[in-house]
Amino acid sequence: MRKKLEGNGIWESSRMMLPEHKVAINEQEQASRQRQRIELDEQEWENISRFVMESLQQRHPIAIRLFHPLEELSVIGVVDRVDQLKGRFMVDGEWFSIRDIEGASIEEG
Amino acid sequence: MPLNKVIMLADCQSFYASVEKADHPEYRDLPLVVAGDPERRSGIILAACPLAKSFGVTTAERLGDSLAKCPNLVIIRPRMQLYIDISMRITNIYKSYTDLVEPYSIDEQFLDVTGSLHLYGSPEELAHHIQTRIQAELGIYTRFGIAENKMLAKMACDNYAKKNGSGIYILRKDRLEETLWTLPVAKMFMVGSRMTRHFNAMGLETIGKVAATPLEKLKLMMRRKFGKNSDINAELYSRIANGIDDSPVAPGTHEIAPKVIGHMMTLPRDYQRLEEIKVVLLELTELVCQRCRGKGYMGHVVSVGLMGANYDQPTGFSRQMKMDDPSNVTNTVYHAAVQLLLRHWDGYPVRKVGVSLSQFSEDGEYQLSLFDTKREKTMALEKATDALKQKYGDAIILRAASVTLAGQAQHRSEKIGGHYK
Repeated sequence: MRKKLEGNGIWESSRMMLPEHKVAINEQEQASRQRQRIELDEQEWENISRFVMESLQQRHPIAIRLFHPLEELSVIGVVDRVDQLKGRFMVDGEWFSIRDIEGASIEEG
Repeated sequence: MPLNKVIMLADCQSFYASVEKADHPEYRDLPLVVAGDPERRSGIILAACPLAKSFGVTTAERLGDSLAKCPNLVIIRPRMQLYIDISMRITNIYKSYTDLVEPYSIDEQFLDVTGSLHLYGSPEELAHHIQTRIQAELGIYTRFGIAENKMLAKMACDNYAKKNGSGIYILRKDRLEETLWTLPVAKMFMVGSRMTRHFNAMGLETIGKVAATPLEKLKLMMRRKFGKNSDINAELYSRIANGIDDSPVAPGTHEIAPKVIGHMMTLPRDYQRLEEIKVVLLELTELVCQRCRGKGYMGHVVSVGLMGANYDQPTGFSRQMKMDDPSNVTNTVYHAAVQLLLRHWDGYPVRKVGVSLSQFSEDGEYQLSLFDTKREKTMALEKATDALKQKYGDAIILRAASVTLAGQAQHRSEKIGGHYK
């Protein structure tokens, strides 16, 4: 009962929503949160590969933004290995796909 | 004085009827109603267009009564799925003005436009802009109650915007004395006919009088009528009357995990025999469990409600029991529901049946039972039937009991909210 007086309680307890309507709202909400892969132009690729190579050779940390369907994801650390053949790179012992890269920047400090 | 926040409650006029009129231009100048199936008991008016209302047709009355008032009435069967789709299109239009949109029902939605107002001028201008756009795109007339919070926006819409020429009304909190507070208490949000009688008996005939009653005094007055547990309601009514509401416009509000999953249905005729009631009980249990399985929940508490057929002498019960273990297996839950039915049914004819499950836990892990050796098999079976229903509709596979005369599953699968899809 107390809930009626808190937060959105009064509206949540008094509304009339069809279950089918709720499901449709939530599905749309979820779909709108899905992220699309972005396409990088050549210059950006050049920049990124320069950062990656610098990190690999000079052992300084960089931040690499990666594609994820639902959230913002970036990997921060020193690139240990690059495996062109399998299209992957390693940061801190973990492999990531080169295809997922969306951007890179030098990590300060 | 500028408003601190600008909240709108946008409401669609005669929503179902307006959607049908927009979809059938040939009926534009005819009185039109959307009515439940005339052959079944649900043959009542769900929505009437303004033209039909001018003949005296009102919502919720029987179709026969409406036809007597207005013989050339156009009668349309509801198409619930279409109304949901249109409602979502309207939500998306609102969302192009602000991301803070909260659907409150199929035809009412809250908008917090505080942050987008500088792009459109005054609240009235923005409301008028949206109103014109929805009229042009969907042929539906929307009304806007505007205020600094949801409560006042709702009452601004219900009491003023629905009745004035523009369909737009701003209710200012510093002007309640000349506006809201002069209205009879029946016009207050959450006050129905029963509560109106009680407030009148307490001498609180206007919203202003409720607002002016100190909370402690109102609590005492309500305790005398409703007992000790009425304090929260007293506080609620006091806040409503004073236009106090700090709840946010919450777009994600429908994602919150439900506490109860239940289904209830009104029967097409009164059921008298135990076997018949058991059939619908099983069908409702199946629906409830199906939804729980879809969400990955198991419920621990089963509730069953029955309503008697005689309106003048209300009978029936609503009771619950805790099962040994949480479950979403139809047969297990049904078994508990039947126990409740046998224990509490008084034998009188039944008009309405409801089943619900609550106290959820995740169904990823469950207690192994020494005695129920068939559990894995049942779960696999239900997974398969659920998948079939998901793909081809609920009527694709039915229990044999559902094809008896008492069965309602087939009818129900054609419906949303008790009305045709």
